[in-house]
Amino acid sequence: MMRKGGAAGMKTGRDDGEGSVVADKLRKEFDGLVAVDDLDLSIRKGTLYGMIGPNGSGKTTMIKMMVGRLKPTSGRARVLGEDVPLVERVADIGYMPQEMAIYTDLTVSENLQLFGGLYSMDPGSRAKREEALLSMVDLRERRDSLVSQLSGGMKHRVSLACSMIHDPEVLFLDEPTVGVDPELRIGFWQHFSDLKAGGKTVIITTHYMDEAVRCDVVGMMRQGRLIAEGKPKELMERTSTSNLEDAFMEYSRRDAA
Amino acid sequence: MKVTRVFAVARKTLRSLKHDRRTVGFLVFMPLFMIAIFGYTFGGSLEDVSVYVVNLDSGVGNVSASEAIVAELAAGGVLMIEQVIGPEGDPDELVKQALAEVEAGNAWAAIVFEDNFTADVLRSVAEVGSVPTGAPGAITVHLDASNPNIAQAIMNEMQLTVQGVIVSEYHLLPPMTISEERVYGEDAEFIDFFAPGVMGLAAMMVTFMLSIISFVHERSTGTLDRLLTTPVTEGEVVAGYALALGLVGLIQSIVILVTAVALFQVQIEGSPLLVLLIIFVLGAGNQGLGFLLSSNAKNEFQAVQFMPIILFPSILLAGVFWPIEAVPDLLRPVSYFVPLTYAVEGCRSVMIRGWGLGDVWFQLAVLTAFATVMLILSAYSLKKRR
Repeated sequence: MMRKGGAAGMKTGRDDGEGSVVADKLRKEFDGLVAVDDLDLSIRKGTLYGMIGPNGSGKTTMIKMMVGRLKPTSGRARVLGEDVPLVERVADIGYMPQEMAIYTDLTVSENLQLFGGLYSMDPGSRAKREEALLSMVDLRERRDSLVSQLSGGMKHRVSLACSMIHDPEVLFLDEPTVGVDPELRIGFWQHFSDLKAGGKTVIITTHYMDEAVRCDVVGMMRQGRLIAEGKPKELMERTSTSNLEDAFMEYSRRDAA
Repeated sequence: MKVTRVFAVARKTLRSLKHDRRTVGFLVFMPLFMIAIFGYTFGGSLEDVSVYVVNLDSGVGNVSASEAIVAELAAGGVLMIEQVIGPEGDPDELVKQALAEVEAGNAWAAIVFEDNFTADVLRSVAEVGSVPTGAPGAITVHLDASNPNIAQAIMNEMQLTVQGVIVSEYHLLPPMTISEERVYGEDAEFIDFFAPGVMGLAAMMVTFMLSIISFVHERSTGTLDRLLTTPVTEGEVVAGYALALGLVGLIQSIVILVTAVALFQVQIEGSPLLVLLIIFVLGAGNQGLGFLLSSNAKNEFQAVQFMPIILFPSILLAGVFWPIEAVPDLLRPVSYFVPLTYAVEGCRSVMIRGWGLGDVWFQLAVLTAFATVMLILSAYSLKKRR
């Protein structure tokens, strides 16, 4: 596997014993079809990690196993030192699924209140957090609108805000920038960088390969396997390419060979 | 289980409903509509049933027993006598004429007083206590019994009237009497029997429907999955929904109670709070049932298909419209497996008999067991799905 070479640029969590997010021979089969193929992964605390790969490469299945919504066929995932499904640390993760998965028959604010309530936040700190997040996703004026009346991109932003209401240690974002206009997308990435700077771990899947350049570490998935991993710059250097998309194509070619 | 998270789920469920005005309207007006329709339809008694009378009796002197009975029937109000035919003319022709009206659907019955009716009556009266020398006065009722209720009402009215005339005209008292002393239901009418049933039925229909549709929606949009990545547990989600939908059932019951009292003067002998408690538990249980079945439905359309499967046994076997004793032996055991049976029985006992918690504990215990099992199974099925 490419993993050994690919991971060379990354200290695999040796300093604090174990990464924030660890996959250990993680595998998922659906009716005999392998979606995730014995994936090994270790993501250090305070990393902005981007997982890129085409549709069907297993990114979403991987995330669903990491947040405990899918049971692995074999292997295990560990988050913050605890085996998934989490019990002790469940309030320390945030998850934004790829499908909208917010309540369209509630207002923006009510959605945030619901998720705040599920994390047992006290009303004061929740209200403060709600303000900050609404500014971040630029929905302050629409806070009392029903989600069903918002545009697709706005719904995505509500969903993102919901996953962050409780200020989690580890944030799993499955395609968070789909349908978000370029200007706002820059703001999002700025925010992800800020989170990372504050010691949070952020795992993002995306098929916009260009934006993954902003990640500390990028993993490339193909057919359920990690075919490369490293800092964006290193990945491009090793393949003598100038962008991640070309680098991915090169790694895919090598993998297929 | 953490109460704040249960409340968060319950509040979210109620808020979704609140934003959907049409559904709120439906939730409030559906039970109101049901009780009003059923109340007016079943609450009234039969009146003005069209009949023809053929009087072949010519009386004895100035006395006519048949005319006395016809006069009483006309005064009664249940029957509407379209025409009295005879006694002049060919008897067969007269009867044929009246029967033609029944056959044409213009009347429900042709009531024929046979020839010599008064003479036979007078002779029988005189012979009371000794061996009769002839037949008693005869009345034949030709019935269109295609509607059993109407046929029954005609026969009842005939018997009551004939008995009344025997007492008033001939001073013949029956040798024995039966008198009625009501233990419960002093002024109970059909609507009193009926209102508790409709209440249970409405609460059950709505909680089941809301539950199954909401959960199919939650599953298909991925929100349920997402909820479960937060600290909320399966049990808390189910409990939150049960709380919210139980409250919806409760509000509906209040609407029904108020309507029933205001429009139909339905009596509530016992505690209204106890009635509401029964309905709340029923609602919570049905929410669980809806949840369980929702995992077998891929979309809202499939969910709706479960409704008749659940509703029909409840409507027909739970004693909503007729007592369980009227359910055939073969099906009666099924009645005892329908939770609504216990809710209806409980509400009825509280409202009509004025029973308290100590008297309806069994019904309440069965409903609580039903709700508990449903909610535990729901939570468990969620857990297993991963």
